[in-house]
Amino acid sequence: MSATATHDEHHHDEHHDPGFVRKYIFSTDHKMIGLQYGITAGAFLLFGFFLMIAMRWSIAFPHEPLPGWIAMFFPEGWEARWLQDGKLTGDAYNMFGAMHGTIMVFLGVVPLGFGAFGNYVTPLQIGAPDMAFPKLNMMSYWIYLAGGLIMCGSFFMESGAAKSGWTNYSPLAGIADGQIVNQWLAGQTQWLIGLVLLITSSLLGSVNFITTIINLRARGLTWMRMPFFVWAMLVTGFLLLLAFPPLEAAGIMQLMDRVAGSSFFMPTGLYTQAEGLLEISGGGSPLLYQHLFWFLGHPEVYVLLLPAIACVAEIIPANTRKPLWGYKAMVYGVLVLGFLSFIVWAHHMYMTGMGPVVSTFFQITTVLISIPSVILLTSLIISLWQGSIRFTPAMIWACAFLPMFGIGGLTGLPLAFNLVGLHLHDTYYVIGHFHYVVAPGILFGLFAGVYHWFPKITGRFMSRTLSHLHFWPSLICMNMIFFPMLTQGMAGFHRRWYNGGDSYLAVDPDSANVFGQTVAEHIDLNIVMSYGAWLMALAQIPFLVNLVWSKFFGRKVGSDNPWNATTLEWATPTPPGHGNFTTDPVVYRGPYEYSRPDHDEDFLPQWIEAPRPADKPEESPAAH
Amino acid sequence: MADSPEEIKKSIRLYLIIGGALFVGTVLTVMVATIPWMDIGGHGFDVWDMILGLLIATTKATLVALIFMHLNHEKVWVYWLFGMGLFFGAAMVALIFLAKGDPIHYDGFSTGGQPSAVISE
Amino acid sequence: MEIPYVVNPRKDTGLFNSKIAIWLFLASEVMLFGGLFSGYVFLRIGADYPWPERTLPVLPGLINTFILIASSVTVVFAWASLKMRNWRNFQIFMGATVLCALVFMGFKAVEYGVKFKHQAVRMVDFTMVEGHASYLKEKKDGTDHGDADHGEGDYVLDLDGDKIAINQHVFAVESASFNLNRYYKPWLEELLAHAEHDGATITLAEKMDFNAPGEEKPELVFAKGEVLSLDLLEAIADAYKDNAVRNATARKKYLRAAWEIKWADVEENDLLGEAAFAAAYPKGFELEADERKLAYTRWKAGMRAKMAQDVSIDSVKLGNGDSVEVLIDGVTYASRELPAPNSASFQSDKPIVVRHKGRNVITDYKPDNTSIALRDGTALTGTYKPSPVDFHEVDGIDFQHLAMDAEKKNLDPEIAIENSWLVKENPVVADLWTLHRQAVGQLEEILAKKNRVPTEKDRYRMGWQEIAYYMDAIEAHREQGGEGLPTIELADNANAPPKVKMGLKEHFMGPNYEARSFPHIAIPRAEILLESKFTPKWNSYYAIYFTITGLHGLHVVGGAIVLGYYLFFGRRMYLTNPEWLANRVEVGGLFWHFVDLVWIFAFPIFYLM
Repeated sequence: MSATATHDEHHHDEHHDPGFVRKYIFSTDHKMIGLQYGITAGAFLLFGFFLMIAMRWSIAFPHEPLPGWIAMFFPEGWEARWLQDGKLTGDAYNMFGAMHGTIMVFLGVVPLGFGAFGNYVTPLQIGAPDMAFPKLNMMSYWIYLAGGLIMCGSFFMESGAAKSGWTNYSPLAGIADGQIVNQWLAGQTQWLIGLVLLITSSLLGSVNFITTIINLRARGLTWMRMPFFVWAMLVTGFLLLLAFPPLEAAGIMQLMDRVAGSSFFMPTGLYTQAEGLLEISGGGSPLLYQHLFWFLGHPEVYVLLLPAIACVAEIIPANTRKPLWGYKAMVYGVLVLGFLSFIVWAHHMYMTGMGPVVSTFFQITTVLISIPSVILLTSLIISLWQGSIRFTPAMIWACAFLPMFGIGGLTGLPLAFNLVGLHLHDTYYVIGHFHYVVAPGILFGLFAGVYHWFPKITGRFMSRTLSHLHFWPSLICMNMIFFPMLTQGMAGFHRRWYNGGDSYLAVDPDSANVFGQTVAEHIDLNIVMSYGAWLMALAQIPFLVNLVWSKFFGRKVGSDNPWNATTLEWATPTPPGHGNFTTDPVVYRGPYEYSRPDHDEDFLPQWIEAPRPADKPEESPAAH
Repeated sequence: MADSPEEIKKSIRLYLIIGGALFVGTVLTVMVATIPWMDIGGHGFDVWDMILGLLIATTKATLVALIFMHLNHEKVWVYWLFGMGLFFGAAMVALIFLAKGDPIHYDGFSTGGQPSAVISE
Repeated sequence: MEIPYVVNPRKDTGLFNSKIAIWLFLASEVMLFGGLFSGYVFLRIGADYPWPERTLPVLPGLINTFILIASSVTVVFAWASLKMRNWRNFQIFMGATVLCALVFMGFKAVEYGVKFKHQAVRMVDFTMVEGHASYLKEKKDGTDHGDADHGEGDYVLDLDGDKIAINQHVFAVESASFNLNRYYKPWLEELLAHAEHDGATITLAEKMDFNAPGEEKPELVFAKGEVLSLDLLEAIADAYKDNAVRNATARKKYLRAAWEIKWADVEENDLLGEAAFAAAYPKGFELEADERKLAYTRWKAGMRAKMAQDVSIDSVKLGNGDSVEVLIDGVTYASRELPAPNSASFQSDKPIVVRHKGRNVITDYKPDNTSIALRDGTALTGTYKPSPVDFHEVDGIDFQHLAMDAEKKNLDPEIAIENSWLVKENPVVADLWTLHRQAVGQLEEILAKKNRVPTEKDRYRMGWQEIAYYMDAIEAHREQGGEGLPTIELADNANAPPKVKMGLKEHFMGPNYEARSFPHIAIPRAEILLESKFTPKWNSYYAIYFTITGLHGLHVVGGAIVLGYYLFFGRRMYLTNPEWLANRVEVGGLFWHFVDLVWIFAFPIFYLM
């Protein structure tokens, strides 16, 4: 920023030819990094989804070999090692289960929501030329990729990938893969290394995001004029920044347990079938790991959720042509949500023998946190009221997000209570609950985001027909998969049965084994759910086709602001060039000024100067 | 913020004094831990030694944070950002210990009121 | 395109970008070290063994604290010099800072190094013995060290030319069976090297033939008596894996075919239909419609589970009771199965002595154990040699855990100690213990005057200074021709059991073994519960100590690299944009102060508490 001479030329000439590698691979441009995040996360999501498809076969048909259309994806040697007669072994199932969870949460949804959407949209919405630290941003992506590859690469090691659940509880995780001599090459250790890298990546990312939002807002973009999306990203950044380090500490300690033989989480007198009394000092605390894990684990839920709800909060006003209802309430709601999410974590641990005082504390905070969640959801629903709704592809997904996330949230309420939690702990009810939040909830929100911003990214619309072909089967299949889980869970189905409960089944219909009878009554739901999952996979094909086809042959956008939206990202050229804005953007009003009675058009963008002198920019009519 | 060269010149002395105070504090910590007549509480290490040791450490840490890290005249944003780390860090530690110190007491069914087992974790 | 507020602060926040970023980063660092320190407290409070309090020599930690504080001062001065545009002073102060970091890491390395060399043993009765593990010395047969002598003489070197510490498991291997999936190559290489050294030959115990029935590929036949080599075992493993893959593929196909037969039968005869239900479960028709539906669901689920038992790779039992063979191309699976044993057995013409660290050996030690399992699935047969842990110098005897255990069992700790293996079997330890009890008795009286009592550590732990003191006392007493044991007299103001004075070098490097005398004890393997160096493995105190100080050390190194970069590559920026450099140094300095802050807490917690 020393020489003014370069100031004139830098806008258009300098950045046009950075070379292929600098532009597409080692790019420091937040938009390219966002796309890299998006594509990588998408690939990981597909991989995690595939693992689940194989698992669902084992659950539905535990005695039959995997069919060709699943088994064809396994390399032959791998199949011989981990499958028995073409069926998933318990070990392989555990591996798939652990990695499905890990991939979906850490490698899929968070990078998609925070990494991709956050990176692409946030600087545009606050009128910044880029993130505050572009190189850090690039590093963050590459560390994420390395972490992900290290985790997934362990599938091909002698030990196989991590197999102690995505929560990786010690001491189970501490002794798993004990047969491996060089512990650095055990899947369980690789998981930890990958995790430490992922945490590092998201720390860099969150520092970058928060700094950008605090310091790089455009002129006139005061806090209460920020789009809700940016608020959500700010809170997400803080959650990542402060919740992840304790897990990094736990990860480092568990890594020490594995490679240095320490006993941070290994209790005294640990005995395994394979090794007898373990040669460790003991004296560690398995519970400490759970505390540190869930200290991250719960805020992580909101790290998943907030980007999705942020997308929806942008899409609904733009497509109902009216301001976001209760903008201020939503902003304060999301701040309270972020705050409370740090002090609810032990509701994951009711089974660990916490006393009544602490249980009560965490029950209260857990129930409290539903208040801001309900504020967010209700505001979004009320925003629909009396709107002239355009059912664009993005909008149908956003509309589906509302009830689906609602089911996810409401099914969580019983789990907040200790008494019910004890019964439902580790059952399919829990699985059903959080999948309703994450899959038809969060993923739908993110799909909506893809359809919404695709025209800005590529300059073309996505196909409407294909998007409906994607939406309706997805909506039906999602419910087909996850609703029966709630039923099964209440019947007592454990979440980690690799054969879907087959070994607990009472074969005789008159058997006195009550649990066995209950299992027999509900086990057929496994087949329904599995077909749901497989059809769900088919339903994603139109989406992938749509992405590629529309990129090249989609209908071209007529203007830079195809949805007639009001926030700053639509003020950029399409697609935005390096540096984003052609002129320094100035913000004159709140983010959602649709259908103002004093304005001719039904939207008044943030960057347009006041149409009349009487219109004071300080007013924020969004919060009426 | 002491940003102008003149102000910085003035604070050089302060930095030296604080440095000295840190040295003294360190020596003091070692003394209370090793010299018999300075051993408060019972003989050997006990909770009072811990409190005193941590008190001195906290004082030293506060000096470093306030003077060396300029927190005594920093922008309000910095207080918020760093304060959040301190607050949630403290909340985490406190709640973990609360959970640790609140075990389920199982008083048994047939031992005539005598505890038969106490589950502490 | 330029990012704003890189050098100059934004007006409304008053901050430039990197300053916000560093404070955010420090906030996350607070959480990271918060997690680790809460781990420390959690482990300490929850410890089910006596926490080793005040166990490290204070001096190195103290010096390191001084160094870090000094560097904190110099880094502020470096920043101030830049602000006043004094490049020369900046260089001096920043140089001093980086130098401090290097010295700090140097002391750290010395501290770590001493611990990594210090042996410790936890015995089955929870006695802890610490000291210096001795090295194997030359004996006539050159192999056995069950009763290694400790006179003068050359050390036995292992095949890498290193001295062999007497703390390993020793086997005389007569035969070995390798797990073909996961045998660990370095161990195999070691075994082969030992065999070569001992002039032994290891050969395949039995012929292995990986040919399919009726095939005769010579490269798949391994004759009995072939000499073990890396290549041979690899060839066998490859042949095994090949066959295993082909078998697995065939098994999958056969099982699929079997299920096809079964499902065809089920569909044809409607074995899961209502009619079949009615036939199998006539009672069902007396039930209400809802109940019957439920009973049908249960019955169907049960039937499907039962069906699985009818289906196997070889044959399928149909609904009518007939059994059908599963054929593909008219061949059963059994007749095309390839041989795929997953281990290969070798034998040696004479016993080969190999050594393994404790972690590698899964089998527990028993003198008559003849089969030993290693971690990589290798099964050894031969002799489990006595494998004691031999302390040339015992410089720590700790009965705290033993006493705690005894108290838990309502036993008198003193009697339990008298009965411990260490006191009973080692007269020299018995002498030391007698003197120590004498000293503790006096200490108790002295402290009682001040209403105080000795700590558990005073009572039950003899550190190296105490041991050296007692050894000296005994020696002096014997030299003067005294019978029995000397009497220990504590000074009136004594505050601890008697100790020898620590030399300056001993503060850093531990006891001077040459100048002082310590008992020599070999602890039989059967008495050992856990054996370790002073590493994270030894107990959770060392685990958390190494983790926090190690992570802190990484921060020191990282900080020093960044500050060093400003020092050595900052000149150009200083000339073009000194304010920017000052900002960078300020931000780097903030990180450096934080590193100092962590140490301010780590020092008292680990060294003084």
